[in-house]
Amino acid sequence: EGFFVFFLFKVRGPPPAGSVKERPAKHTAFRKFYERGDFPIAVQHECGGNKIAWKVQIEELDYHYFLPLFFDGLCETEFPYEFFARQGVHDLLEHGGSRILPVVPQLIIPIKNALNLRNRQVLCTTLKVIQHLVVSAEMVGEALVPYYRQILPVLNIFKHMNVNLGDGIEYGQQKRENIGVLIQETLELFERYGGENAYINIKYMIPTYWSC
Amino acid sequence: KMPKDSEVTTEADIKPKSVRRAKTWSDVVENLYRFQQAGYRDEVEYKQVKQVEQVDFWPETGFVKKLQRRDNTFYYYNRQRECEDKDVRKVKIYVY
Repeated sequence: EGFFVFFLFKVRGPPPAGSVKERPAKHTAFRKFYERGDFPIAVQHECGGNKIAWKVQIEELDYHYFLPLFFDGLCETEFPYEFFARQGVHDLLEHGGSRILPVVPQLIIPIKNALNLRNRQVLCTTLKVIQHLVVSAEMVGEALVPYYRQILPVLNIFKHMNVNLGDGIEYGQQKRENIGVLIQETLELFERYGGENAYINIKYMIPTYWSC
Repeated sequence: KMPKDSEVTTEADIKPKSVRRAKTWSDVVENLYRFQQAGYRDEVEYKQVKQVEQVDFWPETGFVKKLQRRDNTFYYYNRQRECEDKDVRKVKIYVY
């Protein structure tokens, strides 16, 4: 009789939790400020690709105001917002020097928002930006250690997202679009530049990570 | 005897006599690429037009760091190489 009941009431597994499902992106403050004309930037269409022309010298910009705004634009996926955010962050980090370190706490929320979208393209861009941030200035890697518990959970979800080609050749390796590889590179940079406590903090959030 | 890529000697008020295209990448070609991307022939024309004595270079690599275009906007360049192999042929080397 129990066997008959089993056939009547089919047991189903739990519903998917949606941990890797993309979340809808909202319009960011970066988009609002850009459309208002608050950013001193313009796009130049060169033969090798687009480039940002700055109307004001980067050395004169207030990093406390602009850098978090540009990081907020990492959530964008449409042109020109995505281009300006990505390239603008790159230029600001490349030429920021000692002005980046005091702004690091303000960058955590925009980074967390970008990672939480679970959008594959946004994930790749954000991971590359994080890698650049870690090596951009002295002590930035160590300054990020207290914020690992806010950034690393999403990386833990996507860490396994690799491609198993067997003995095939990954022709797109140079494009650096493999999320699993990017996450591994990012974690290794965190460990290298994060000081003594970096590894134990990474291990706490991502138990399957091994020291490089 | 053809002058080498590194033998671009100039004076401020002399216009270039000849031009040729770069064949292989070098530090000089990289800097020329950056100047030409900003709309100038080379460092000589940039100093003539902008009336500056020195150009911003990256201390680690010696590549151009920042240039002001003719419309007074600024171009910022990376510390590392930006000129890809496919763009080397587009770089013009002016001989004075």
